[in-house]
Amino acid sequence: MKQLLNITCKKATYLISLKEDKAIGFFDNIKLKLHLGICSVCRLFEKQSWFIKVNTRHAHENLDKTLSDDAKEKISTALKSIQ
Amino acid sequence: MDNKHTLNADHWITDYSDALFKYTIMRVSDTGVAEDIVQETFLSAWRSRENYKGIASEKNWLYTICKNKIIDYYRKKSSSIVEYAEADTSAGIFDENEHWTKDTAPKEWNINYNQTVEKKEFYSILEKCKSKLQQMQQSVFVMKYLEDLDTEEICKVLGITTSNYWVLIHRAKLGLRNCLEKNWVNL
Repeated sequence: MKQLLNITCKKATYLISLKEDKAIGFFDNIKLKLHLGICSVCRLFEKQSWFIKVNTRHAHENLDKTLSDDAKEKISTALKSIQ
Repeated sequence: MDNKHTLNADHWITDYSDALFKYTIMRVSDTGVAEDIVQETFLSAWRSRENYKGIASEKNWLYTICKNKIIDYYRKKSSSIVEYAEADTSAGIFDENEHWTKDTAPKEWNINYNQTVEKKEFYSILEKCKSKLQQMQQSVFVMKYLEDLDTEEICKVLGITTSNYWVLIHRAKLGLRNCLEKNWVNL
C-alpha cells in the first residue's frame, strides 16, 4: 500500500501543474496530498508555482520596453502605402 | 461604409504600437519578430477594416488580431521544431531517486506568494528567464500562462499530445522557477 501511494518529488511537481489546471485524477490527487503532507520542499514549490502562474498573466503590462522609433517609422510607411 | 470613418489609422501607431509591442515581445522574445508581428497586425487591421463592427473597442480589436498572429507564429514554428522529444531538462534538478538535490531544492523567497508583483524589474527578469527555456517549453508556457488557451487548443496548434503537453509544462515550470530564484530573489 505504501509503495502504491508513494510518489517522488519529480512526480509531485508534475502533478502540481495538473492540479492547478484541475486536470488531476482522483488517485493522483490523493497521492499528491500525501506527498505534500510530508514534503515541505514540494509545498514551497507549489506556492511558487502558483505565484508564477498568477504573475505571468499580465506580465506585458509591466514590461519596460517600447517599440523603437525606426520600427515605428517603418510601420507608418507600410501602413501609408496601403491606404 | 461608415465603419471606415470610425477607424483612424494615423493614430494607431501613436496610441497602440508600444502596448502591442510589449504584449508581443513578452510572447515571442525576439525583437525583430515582435516588430514584424506588430506591423502585420496594423496592416491586417487596415485591410479588414470593413469587418470592424465597432462592438469591441478599437484597442481590443487590434489585440485580437495581434493574438491570432502570435498563435500563427507558434503554429508555424512548431512545425519546424523536432526537439520536443528533447533531452530531459529536469534531469539536473532531481537526483537519481527523483528527489530534489541540495542545490536545486526550492528556497524560501520571503515574499507573499499570493500578492502580485509591482516591481518592473521582476517582469524583465521573467521575460529573460522565459526566453532561456527550450523552444517548445516556451511555446506551451506562453499559450497556457499568458494567452490562457485551453490544453486541447494548445495541443492542436502545436501538434503535440496531451502527455507531451504536461511534460513540457512541467519542465518549463521547473526551469523558470529555478531561473527566477537565481536572478530575481537574490537581487
